Amino acid sequence: METQEAIADSTPVETDGQSDSKRDGQKRLTLGPNDSLEGKLTYGGSLAVEGGGRAEGELRLGGNVEVGSGSVVKALIEASNVTIKGEVEGRLTARDKLTLGKNAKLNGDVQVRRLQIEDGASLNGYVRMGDFEQQAPGS
Amino acid sequence: MLGPRDRVIGQIYIEGDLRVGGVVEGEVEVTGDVEIDDLAKVKASLAGRDVNIRGHVDGAVVARKRLVVAKSGSLIGDVRVGRLVIQDGATFSGKVSMGAAAAAAAPAKAIPAPAQVAEPEPKVVTAPEKPAIEVMPAPVVAASKISTPSVIKTAAPAPIKTAAPAPIKTGAPAPVAELRVAGKDGGKAKPVTAPAKSKQNKKKRR
Repeated sequence: METQEAIADSTPVETDGQSDSKRDGQKRLTLGPNDSLEGKLTYGGSLAVEGGGRAEGELRLGGNVEVGSGSVVKALIEASNVTIKGEVEGRLTARDKLTLGKNAKLNGDVQVRRLQIEDGASLNGYVRMGDFEQQAPGS
Repeated sequence: MLGPRDRVIGQIYIEGDLRVGGVVEGEVEVTGDVEIDDLAKVKASLAGRDVNIRGHVDGAVVARKRLVVAKSGSLIGDVRVGRLVIQDGATFSGKVSMGAAAAAAAPAKAIPAPAQVAEPEPKVVTAPEKPAIEVMPAPVVAASKISTPSVIKTAAPAPIKTAAPAPIKTGAPAPVAELRVAGKDGGKAKPVTAPAKSKQNKKKRR
């Protein structure tokens, strides 16, 4: 994963992973309808799971995570901003903000700095909010 | 409606809607909607249909329909809701239980609570009922002023207040003299038995 990151840093225009797109000069990995990810991903950029894409395992991102409607993610997630419109199961940490869209489903404990839940979203789990003691993400 | 300067500490049950602007501590159950205004400080468990929080709430919340924590709101406590809206900027910490299971659990919790509220009320009502019986013979016994209060004093502290002033007011100076002569024998017998009954009743009921 680190090598991947290094490549991405040195040659930012080049794509890696399944499908990587550039947006505002930030690295961004997108999982589309026929894509799936299983295992542990540590990535400096952002991840988007769209249109029925799947991810399972552990996602640690320097940027943001976006789970589009119809997509399913079963993973431990750690990222800056997390936006969920699909289904997510697992412990989630948003260093900045977690947003649940109106059709979002989230099962799992959540630690966030800011939280926004739209009407119609479903959430089951513990919510912890407040300033972040940067807990060791190594566990 | 509880204004910004109002304060309630205890258990509240309201059939209808409640709007809180002040301080509430304890337990709040509302059949309708609950609204917690910006400046309100609530340290209580809340139960209602729609719950709208713009102030500060510390306690468990049950919203049978929908809970909204507005951007000025802060909620610390476990939550059972049908639907949940948290606006950006709001503070929230606690466990969230949502969906059919939470909705089913909410009314089950709502039933025993009013029963608890209702129970103490009849208890308070039954106590004054006993002295009411003693008040009835009291005017008749008005003549035996000195003897009856002493008996009643031992019986219960509460009836003294109701029984003692009654004969004084009703018993005008003239009839008192008449009753003293006529009612001594019959008068004494009645008050002695009446408080005795009430004593037994109280012992049985307690």
